Amino acid sequence: MTRSLAYAGVSYRYPGSDAGIFDIDLEIAEGELVAVIGASGSGKTTLLKLLAGFARPDRGTIRINGEDVTGQMPEARRLGVVFQSYALFPHMSALDNVAYPLKVRGIARAERRRQAADALARVGLAERSGHQPAMLSGGQQQRVALARALVFRPHGLLLDEPLSALDPGLRVEMRDEILRVQRDAGIATLLVTHDQEEALSIADRVCVMRQGRLIQVATPHQLYDQPADAEVAAFVGQSNLWPGTVAAAGRVATAIGDIPCDTAGHAPGAAVTVLVRPERVLPVGEAGAAPGVFAGRVVSDRFLGPVRRIDLAVGDGVVRLETHSQETVAAVRIPPAAVRLLPRETAPTGGRT
Amino acid sequence: MTPRMPAPLLLAFLLPGAVVFALFFLLPLTLILAEAGSDGGASFAGLLHDPVFWNGLAGSLLLGTVAPAFSLAVGFVLAMALARMTPRRRTAALFAISLPLTFSGLIVAYGFILVLGRAGFVTQLLAMVGFDPAVVGGLIFSPAGLGLAYSYYLIPRVVLIVLPALRNFDPAQLAAARSLGAGAFRSVVEILLPQIVPSLMAAYCLTAAVAIGAYGTALALVGTQVNILPLLLYSKISETGTDLPSAAAISIVLVALCSLVIVLGETLSARTRRA
Repeated sequence: MTRSLAYAGVSYRYPGSDAGIFDIDLEIAEGELVAVIGASGSGKTTLLKLLAGFARPDRGTIRINGEDVTGQMPEARRLGVVFQSYALFPHMSALDNVAYPLKVRGIARAERRRQAADALARVGLAERSGHQPAMLSGGQQQRVALARALVFRPHGLLLDEPLSALDPGLRVEMRDEILRVQRDAGIATLLVTHDQEEALSIADRVCVMRQGRLIQVATPHQLYDQPADAEVAAFVGQSNLWPGTVAAAGRVATAIGDIPCDTAGHAPGAAVTVLVRPERVLPVGEAGAAPGVFAGRVVSDRFLGPVRRIDLAVGDGVVRLETHSQETVAAVRIPPAAVRLLPRETAPTGGRT
Repeated sequence: MTPRMPAPLLLAFLLPGAVVFALFFLLPLTLILAEAGSDGGASFAGLLHDPVFWNGLAGSLLLGTVAPAFSLAVGFVLAMALARMTPRRRTAALFAISLPLTFSGLIVAYGFILVLGRAGFVTQLLAMVGFDPAVVGGLIFSPAGLGLAYSYYLIPRVVLIVLPALRNFDPAQLAAARSLGAGAFRSVVEILLPQIVPSLMAAYCLTAAVAIGAYGTALALVGTQVNILPLLLYSKISETGTDLPSAAAISIVLVALCSLVIVLGETLSARTRRA
């Protein structure tokens, strides 16, 4: 028996609309944290709802540890869900909230209180167990919700935008907390978020959704370095994206000029989108007439603390770069290794990696 | 936070309400008390020995228990449906639901007679499929029928009281309960109900007080065939010779009963709200 959460050919359309999710194939292994990112309306929360059992797919199967649960009610699936609003029960103390799934399973009062207290202690809330949710801070409520979702040893953990209601400072702290608790429990986890930084920083794999389809499933590194298309590149991190044409082997023509790069797999004359991450663009003091070096005029220079973000007008385009240098920038060098060629047009179905 | 209001201004704002309260509640109540006591308590003693009064009290309490319970069940389900509607539909539905509140009890009674009376529309329809029109048509002139007619304007009151509480409830809590292993029914009983019990109790007590005190619909529908306190009171001041002292005594019993139910409801719901 494989211990995993799996979607096989799953489609679901909201009644009376075109929105939904289509042809989803995805498997989350035990102990793995998979994040789903996408714009609002891309179907990422629907993905979670179908796994949790709050909606039934029109087609396809959902499996938990190899067992087909497509027709099962949410209460039969044994999955811990943390909601965006936390959905704590306001008429119960933190301890009773955490003990609730154990109570439902008929565990004796003393035993379930002991286990719930343990679970609260694991998220650092031992002293708050008697408090009602309304008396807890956002971060503490989040911890209670996490403890409640894990206390009954579920087959999987589903997190629906768990950090979006928190202050930015607390968000990073809770992000690490979620990762720690998830690793502790060694549990298959699906994290739905609109925050790509959150996804990149804690996920083992990241899924990008668009219009109800999985566009790319990859490790954070792959996703950042080899995005499936220009839209994914723009969604994940900062980027320079120039329309271009392969001029010759090893050279691509763009609005800023010819950029030397690896053109393997693209015939001369092919239309591509050229991706260069701003931190891979190197400032140079003097503009030599070397290939891959471009002189230009600074149109914007923003100091962001750890980095400076500069927009340099070059030819008919703009090169965005990020640098630690305090020097005046008059030219940049784009190393061939920093260049990725992406398909110019994306078919609506998208490609998969 | 409400800003503090200067004392004189506060008094000025309270004045109109205080005047109305004194003129139309305290004063009549005092007069009725005086009237009831005018024969040295004999009218109260008379009531206590009058089986008609005890029957009326029993009838009123029965009506005041069953009609609100029925209205609460229907109103609660209705409010659940309303809470899940889009705002536009909800507004339209609320308008339709509130409409009965603006009708006089006489109109409601007349409407019921037209629909469910001995020659009523629905009675005739049912007669076609074999239901005895004498039985069906007699139903609304019985205590049960009276309770049904009362529910007509008790249900909107329940909806208006319960709906805000339901709308404050985050439905994700039910989804959470389901994911934690509770079935649909258990989630509602253990998670939703405890949170809206205060408003359910408030709605029950308010509708009970209305049902105990109402008389227009009853009078138009059943005349004085059904024995309830408001109709007994009516007969004491209109029909065969007026008996003002005992009418006053009945009034006081009615006012006390309704006040008691309201106070009970407020106390209970305030306590659960704090807990």
